[in-house]
Amino acid sequence: MNMLSLSTGFALSVAAYAAGAFASLACWRRPALARRICCSAALAGAVLGGLTSVLGILRDTPVAWSVPSGIPLFAYSFSYDALAGFFNLALAIPVAAVSIYSFGYLKELEGKRNIGLFGFLFNLLLLSLTVVFTAANAFLFLIAWEVTALTAYGLVTFYHEDRETRRAGLLYVIMAHIDAGCLLLGFALLINSTGSAEFASFRPLAAVLNGGQQTAAFVLFFLGFAIKAGVIPFHIWLPAAHPVAPSNVSALLSGIVIKTGIYGMARIFLDVLGGVPSWAGLLVLIVGVVSAVLGVLYALMEHDLKRLLAYHSIENIGIILMGLGAALIFRVAGHPMLAAVALVAAMFHTLNHAIFKSLLFLGAGSVLHSTGTRNMEEMGGLIRPMPVTAFCFLIGAIAISGLPPLNGFVSEWLTYQTLLAGFGAISGLRRILFPLAGSMLALTGALAAACFVKAFGITFLALPRGAKSRNAHEAPRTMLIGMGWLTLACAALGLGVTWFLPAFDAMTEQLLGQRVSTHLVTAHGLVLSAGMPTSGTVSPLVIAVGLLVLMVPAALLVVLGVRRFGRKRGPVWDCGLPGLSEENEYTATAFSKALRMIFSVLYKPRREIQAVFDVSPYFPKEIHFESEIEPTFEKRLYAPLQEFIFRVSSRMRTIQAGSIHAYLAYIFVTLVLLLLFGVRK
Amino acid sequence: MPFVPNPELGNRIITLMAALVLVLQIAAVGQRGIVSSIRIFAVQSFLLGAIAAVIAYFNQASHIYIAALLTVFLKAGLLPRLLERLVEKVGIRREIEPLINVPLSILISGGLTLLGYVVAESFYHPEETSARAALGHNTLAVAIALFLIGFFVMVNRRKALTQVLGLLSLENGLFLAAISLTYGMPLVVEIGIFFDVLVAVLVLGILVFRIGETFDSMDVSKLRKLRE
Repeated sequence: MNMLSLSTGFALSVAAYAAGAFASLACWRRPALARRICCSAALAGAVLGGLTSVLGILRDTPVAWSVPSGIPLFAYSFSYDALAGFFNLALAIPVAAVSIYSFGYLKELEGKRNIGLFGFLFNLLLLSLTVVFTAANAFLFLIAWEVTALTAYGLVTFYHEDRETRRAGLLYVIMAHIDAGCLLLGFALLINSTGSAEFASFRPLAAVLNGGQQTAAFVLFFLGFAIKAGVIPFHIWLPAAHPVAPSNVSALLSGIVIKTGIYGMARIFLDVLGGVPSWAGLLVLIVGVVSAVLGVLYALMEHDLKRLLAYHSIENIGIILMGLGAALIFRVAGHPMLAAVALVAAMFHTLNHAIFKSLLFLGAGSVLHSTGTRNMEEMGGLIRPMPVTAFCFLIGAIAISGLPPLNGFVSEWLTYQTLLAGFGAISGLRRILFPLAGSMLALTGALAAACFVKAFGITFLALPRGAKSRNAHEAPRTMLIGMGWLTLACAALGLGVTWFLPAFDAMTEQLLGQRVSTHLVTAHGLVLSAGMPTSGTVSPLVIAVGLLVLMVPAALLVVLGVRRFGRKRGPVWDCGLPGLSEENEYTATAFSKALRMIFSVLYKPRREIQAVFDVSPYFPKEIHFESEIEPTFEKRLYAPLQEFIFRVSSRMRTIQAGSIHAYLAYIFVTLVLLLLFGVRK
Repeated sequence: MPFVPNPELGNRIITLMAALVLVLQIAAVGQRGIVSSIRIFAVQSFLLGAIAAVIAYFNQASHIYIAALLTVFLKAGLLPRLLERLVEKVGIRREIEPLINVPLSILISGGLTLLGYVVAESFYHPEETSARAALGHNTLAVAIALFLIGFFVMVNRRKALTQVLGLLSLENGLFLAAISLTYGMPLVVEIGIFFDVLVAVLVLGILVFRIGETFDSMDVSKLRKLRE
């Protein structure tokens, strides 16, 4: 019964996406109808997929079904286990919000853009993501992977008139195909050893593969998934593509599309290959640390609201990889219990990031929708015209900064605790890495908080910095409902974490043979512990209640004071200068100045000030200020690579003589050589 | 009692004719006049048809007769006529100097024949002493040599028309290989191949004509500009 309803739910959700895709494409001439079809189909698919995923997460044994295709090595094989269910849940929650949000968001595009096409690509993207998370055949997986990349490309370049958009799209599609190529080679290696493309047939391989093959398989899969996840140094496509996409698409890209890389690593490294060597786990951990720290440092320097959020995705992927890398190391080192806790931390952060990053992108989308700019320096004071958006964005900002009692705090805390426990559990010199990684995580959290103080403060507080933000208005109701749903999810997963953790039991049982929720949750479900005797404990619910209790005296004081002395309004102290205007405000650049100086080794900032003087050097007539930081990876890594490729290709061009005789001669010589080669054997 | 032909005799006849086909092919390499090249091709195709008929007779595979008839009709009759009319239309009767001069070309052809024998050797199984195996052994070598020399002609010649002739003799090599190894593929396949060749020649004929019209020459070396 359970199995039947699971596969039925899966099929219905896929069918809803497929119907939405083709129906909205068919109605492209009637934009209002196409918009409704696109959003309702996506919502229906998300609700069905979400319900199905709950069934999948709670089941102890995976459900698998397969339809032969008649093509060798290819079959429509699906396997719905707890891991698949978990990622489908992480897909369904943001998609539900984004599809409600899009009802309002797409409305202004009616008549200007082809909404039918948008609906087609959007629903097809969701469909392919669902298949990626459940496929159990290498080729089915790769096809779905490729459809994801192509539909995402179509959505990223939706505003294709812009040159910047087209460049970002091109970069994305190149990186997406490098990663697909790596995966294809990786799977080819496995298929070559087994003669079958089913994931189930790869599982016994781990014992058979020799060292070289194991290394090659790990490197290929890691490259493929890391590019998709936007891990530094393969991240360059991410901050380019996310800002130029429509905001509802950016929410999905950051929320879930890049998580396919995390899914792939968990699926291949933990499940299919059944563990990787210790050095591989260390590599994942180190790459995670680098991504987290550099991601947040680059985010700090951004004044483009959506690009800032994109860099934070790199940071959070890094945090997830820290947990995943720790899980891989603990597994080899023989600490399945710790590995399970680390895996729970990584997966929980995956889900949390999907939720709060979608929320933040939707918030940024509302701001963009209302002000028409992504540049924070032109915003300000938006909390007054758009209070609901501001509140939702604030909750998302608190969650992503890892502040208690919201969900981001819980998963970062768990990651932190497992990293600290690693020092005691692992022997040898590499144990030093664990507290180092832990301290880097703490640094990341602090910098992220600083960055979101800037993002929220500059955008929503103080006075408007221009006409664009003075004329801002609140977003339509559907957009607010979409954001509100995610805000609720942020709070629920933070406060109710102790009730949510048992949902991970089936997954850790299937991947690592451990159930950890009973160790993690103590004191009648109120207190969260990291499962080790020495580890710390925390209770988000108690913190929340404590915060509320602390607010009581303050509120009382205010009420009593107003009653006693009455309410008075006075001007803001302006240092004796007449009248404060928006020109006296902190800018985003000024706010991040201190950090730019501290980390100047990394940023290599360049600034240029030109002042025009009239009479006295003390009273400049006008000042021109320009500041930029060095795009290190683009300049040091990708530019030389590009030059190398161009040089090699221009050399290869001499082969293209343009003469029929030359081409015939190539074929002829090849043929003769092949014949000789065949004879020699 | 049905009449059973002596396979040994058939084998000798076929080997003799195959040798002639090869000689004609090498002669085509040395030939400069376009019309005589076409005629050499016609004779070669006629011989090929005859080989097919002999195989059909000695192996009592009646459907190969159709293939033989088609070969004679199409390759020895229709195609040469089409090509000759094309030559008259374009008005070019002599090939200009090939890329590699004639003596060296003939030496290379000899080398390619040798390669054909070497390659065919690897398919030869001495333990199979039947006449069939021996036939396959000898004619396969000739067929591969035909194929390679035909290809070499395509590489070596400058005129589009002679390249077409190279392609056709290459195809003759394939036909010989197919018929001597399998004693006739299914008829549908044979007819398909013939139709293919016919269409190819028609297309190439039109192309040659257009090249001649556009560039005032059929020299494909002048097509270099297409590179960009």
